Amino acid sequence: MHFVGFGTWLAALLTLFAFSFLYKDNPFFRFAESLFAGVSLGYYVGITLNQTLLPNLVDPMVQDFGHNWDLVVPGLLGLMLYVRAVPKIGWVSRYALAIFVAYYIGVDFTRRIQGEVLPQIARTMLPLSSLQATTLVSLIFIVGVYSVLVYFFFSKEQNAVTKPLARLGIWFLMISFGAAFGFTVMGRVALLIGRLNFLILNWIYPTIGLQ
Amino acid sequence: MPGLLHRFLALDRRWIFLLVLLSVAGPIIFPVGLPVTVTESTQKSFDYIEALKPGDIVWLSFDYGPSSAPENDPMAEAFLRQCLLKKVRVVVTALYPLGGLGLANQCLARITAEYPDAKYGVDYINLGYKDGATAVMRRLGDDISAAFPTDVSGRPLSEFPIMRGLKSIRDVKLVFTAATGLIGEYWITQVHSQIGTPVIIGPTAVSAPKYYAFINSGQLVGMLGGMKGAAEYELLLSRGHPELASLYRSTKGFTATKGMDGQTVLHGFILLFIVLGNIAFFQERAKKARA
Repeated sequence: MHFVGFGTWLAALLTLFAFSFLYKDNPFFRFAESLFAGVSLGYYVGITLNQTLLPNLVDPMVQDFGHNWDLVVPGLLGLMLYVRAVPKIGWVSRYALAIFVAYYIGVDFTRRIQGEVLPQIARTMLPLSSLQATTLVSLIFIVGVYSVLVYFFFSKEQNAVTKPLARLGIWFLMISFGAAFGFTVMGRVALLIGRLNFLILNWIYPTIGLQ
Repeated sequence: MPGLLHRFLALDRRWIFLLVLLSVAGPIIFPVGLPVTVTESTQKSFDYIEALKPGDIVWLSFDYGPSSAPENDPMAEAFLRQCLLKKVRVVVTALYPLGGLGLANQCLARITAEYPDAKYGVDYINLGYKDGATAVMRRLGDDISAAFPTDVSGRPLSEFPIMRGLKSIRDVKLVFTAATGLIGEYWITQVHSQIGTPVIIGPTAVSAPKYYAFINSGQLVGMLGGMKGAAEYELLLSRGHPELASLYRSTKGFTATKGMDGQTVLHGFILLFIVLGNIAFFQERAKKARA
């Protein structure tokens, strides 16, 4: 029998605890679930402190405050968020929150328009003037986009023209949902493969001396 | 037969869980080596990196956590192997909070051990994790050292030869993001669209369908969709680089190619279940209609 480390045993047992839910809910699963949530939060706090707050805020101010005094502003904004814990002055946190929200709206607005909306609209404007091998694909693409848009247009009652179009839109949606479902199954199976691979090759085999 | 199908509909789902377990565990214990076919988006990704010259700099971002490591780890490893083999320099970051940095550290340790000539700070560097992905990317467009003033161990970037002349992310030839969730999308819609840096994405299979729209619109160089995409990439690497072919054949570690055996077997069973379930459903409906 080969020596298998404590970490491997711990990970293997926690994996089995998590899988035990598939049979039925039990205290082992609850323990693993709570442990995972706690460890994740602790890790998140620690890594944000060490990799973001210290190098980007604390260290620059401690080492050279003269050149980095402007970091006091984001530092204070961050602290202001926590005054929610004091009900009397809780309103102060709203100013910090407002600035964060405004910043991310500014960043996201450009990102969405320039990175998603415009390129995707441009992609639907396909040439159909010349007959090529790709013309049929373009035609299907255009019919798909517009029939789905018609399906989602709820402001007017559907008539003899829009109803069949909307119905066609449902078919396009179903095909895309089917593709998404297939990919989702593949993703979930990949995670199971990863765990079983660990249990078999890193835990069971070394424990019984097969590797 | 109708009675059997009716019993199938009423089957305790734990029997299906057991069958899933056996069909995935079976190929791990007895590998089959089923063939993998290469899709166009993976081929384009591979060709783009193959066309890079020694000394070029690329950006590898670990934007995933342990929960999707079986899908994303093989992609990041394959990309890193290809770059180090071709002497393309790599800047590594992690923007995913829950474990991205740990996985980056582990992956770098594993792969750089295979290339003892690759020097830290010269051929590759690890800048660590930073919170707030979109804000970080915005800063990377102006000044890398403003977003990452130090490397992962706290040393200033000016100490490293690889960072000389690398002012912003527009100076790199490519961003490769192994991603779960939204961070991969940010690289496309923010860094590519606003700065112009080419992007290749290695998403989890769950996220893969939405990225086809970005491939069609020319916003992505290519994509490695889930474990299948990673297996395709390993195949291309094995074909293009004989030294890697022997590595992928001999390694006892986990590879996407090995994982695809279980995927294929289980997908066969799932297809069978879908067909049987549908037959039983329509028979039940016809029975009710007759009644």
